Amino acid sequence: MKNIKRVFIYVFLSLAAIVSIFPFLWMLVSITNKSSDVTKGRLLPGTHLIENMTTLFESVDIVPALVNSTIIAVITTVVTLLLASLAGYGFEIHRSRGKDIVFNILLLSMMIPFAAIMVPLYRMFGSISDTAPLFGIDSLGAVILPTATTAFFIFFFRQNTKMFPKDLVEAGRIDGLSEIGVFFRIYMPTMKTTYAAAAIITFMNSWNNYLWPLVILQSPEKRTIPLLISNLGSSYSPDYGVIMSAIVIATLPTALVFFLMQKHFVAGMMGSVKG
Amino acid sequence: MKKFYLMLVLLVGLAVLAACSSGDEEASGGSSAEGAGSADTITAWAWDPAFNIAALEKAKEAYNGDGDFEVKIIENAQDDIIQKLNTGLSSGTTKGMPNIVLIEDYRAQSFLQAYPDAFHPLTDVINPEDFADYKIATTSHNGEQYGLPFDSGVAGLYVRTDYLEQAGYTAEDLTNITWDEYIEIGKKVKEATGKNMLTLDPNDLGQIRMMIQTNGSWYVKEDGSTPNLAGNETLAKAFETYKKMMDADIGKIVSDWSQFVGAFNSGDVASVPTGNWITPSIKQEAEQSGKWAVVPMPRLDMEGAVNASNLGGSSWYILNVDGKEEAADFMLNTFGSNADLYQTLVKDIGALGTYSAAAEGDAYAVEDEFFGGQQIITDFSKWTDEIPGVNYGLHTYAIEDILVTGMQDYLKGTELTKVLENVQGQAEAQLK
Repeated sequence: MKNIKRVFIYVFLSLAAIVSIFPFLWMLVSITNKSSDVTKGRLLPGTHLIENMTTLFESVDIVPALVNSTIIAVITTVVTLLLASLAGYGFEIHRSRGKDIVFNILLLSMMIPFAAIMVPLYRMFGSISDTAPLFGIDSLGAVILPTATTAFFIFFFRQNTKMFPKDLVEAGRIDGLSEIGVFFRIYMPTMKTTYAAAAIITFMNSWNNYLWPLVILQSPEKRTIPLLISNLGSSYSPDYGVIMSAIVIATLPTALVFFLMQKHFVAGMMGSVKG
Repeated sequence: MKKFYLMLVLLVGLAVLAACSSGDEEASGGSSAEGAGSADTITAWAWDPAFNIAALEKAKEAYNGDGDFEVKIIENAQDDIIQKLNTGLSSGTTKGMPNIVLIEDYRAQSFLQAYPDAFHPLTDVINPEDFADYKIATTSHNGEQYGLPFDSGVAGLYVRTDYLEQAGYTAEDLTNITWDEYIEIGKKVKEATGKNMLTLDPNDLGQIRMMIQTNGSWYVKEDGSTPNLAGNETLAKAFETYKKMMDADIGKIVSDWSQFVGAFNSGDVASVPTGNWITPSIKQEAEQSGKWAVVPMPRLDMEGAVNASNLGGSSWYILNVDGKEEAADFMLNTFGSNADLYQTLVKDIGALGTYSAAAEGDAYAVEDEFFGGQQIITDFSKWTDEIPGVNYGLHTYAIEDILVTGMQDYLKGTELTKVLENVQGQAEAQLK
């Protein structure tokens, strides 16, 4: 009986695994095929890998897009981690009368869909374009600014800080650390897993962000990877071999970040902290 | 509980604030003098590197006016252009907006109506009579000509002559037929070859659009905004024909563009009724050379319907930002008056324009070996002149979304008049 149950579980899990892995497999196979083979649904590896890659790097010019996406994702991740953790720490560790109200307002801001604030945001960035070109329309700064630190990450850090042993803060103070010192030398190392989880999520969000970069970036040389891929698919006769190659390359960094931090990620999402 | 109310008040306050601020947008929006390109650079947005972008590059080479400016061509996907234009134009700042933009004809009216001041009228710049008649209604608004008509979406029926032959037909037998005759032929072809006659995508009713335009009808009435679904005999006929195709089992169901292209590339279908811009995709499969021909689009079996229709097609628009005079000069000098440019476009990139004077050139008469030596460009441009002009109006895609579910109901057996009344009601409620 137990064996039958086991067989059943394995069959079910294998099916689920195939369903979720198949698109990736198809993507990987497709980068070696030419476009008309991809549309025909060919599942065998072909001989067009080098051709697709050459097109991608020479005529599509994927490198600048990779550089832009990396710059944006890395800066966004660093800024988000720093600001959100500072805020989360402050909200949880320090006592103040109005903090819960402020926190609730922050949470409310999570409920406003981005599409609703997009037009006003565009207007705001338009109005500073002349005085602060680094953050104006068509600048990488304008992509980073609205997405660096969101209410969600402040909430995320505050929730995780609840597990943080407050005695450590006291101990630090007694040993003569300043508030900043406590944060950087005690809080940060202890909360490593939370940082890792937040880093993965921010990085992925930023890397895959589409709508805001789309409206705010205008020059082709500032384009990010998702915008580039969107362009590739816009032709009346898209080259699916090349599109698949671009998608594979676009997937690699997020996959890499995930695998590097996977161990911490799971721990961070569970909210456990090793005191 | 008290806290909850406080939050509620705050939220409502925010909403009111947002509503108010949109009111004064217009007041301050109009005064923004900051243009997209300064006068020495003009930017143009379009999609498809092999087609529209290539056409712009050719135009740039062909420009021989006095203007001293750089043309910066930027490629964006069509949906992306729509998103960017909508955000930019509704924010009221012209920063980052291009000088020249390509807009699909089905969507043009909604832009012209939503942002009447954002576009630069070309009434005094080009002569609308130089272009195919059917393009003018969609590119003008309130008596002003805004768009410079560009590529023709003239549709044709691409047929596999080898499959037809197996079933005892020639391309001649499919010339100037009705959809009903087409279905009969389709059954025979399927019997003889086992191949489906065409692809059908339940989420894309381009098929219906092409059918109803053969009889000069559209989803909306002449005014461009009143839904014209219930009681629209042409639409009812198109729905019936569509169902006949499904019942006859001659359609291969596809769900997206890649499957659509894949179906004819792999030889799964005997014909492709669609816009002429599909030619490069058809020719992509070099092994099928000589096995194709193009015949006029079948018509609906109704009084007044013709064997010519349209699918897609787009036109150039100039935004009302700094550099508009330069942009207008560039467009007039190239797409607006240069017949030779259109020859180049046909020859080098297969883009068929709607500039009437261009049709006389040699490039249009070229015999295409892929299509068994047929002069397909000549044929297409002949059919272009026969396309019934309709006002595509404001809501083509919004109504089509509603029709997609209506079609499913109809195919499942709901009575047609009821289906059309139903979608009419939904469309009226949604588009109010």
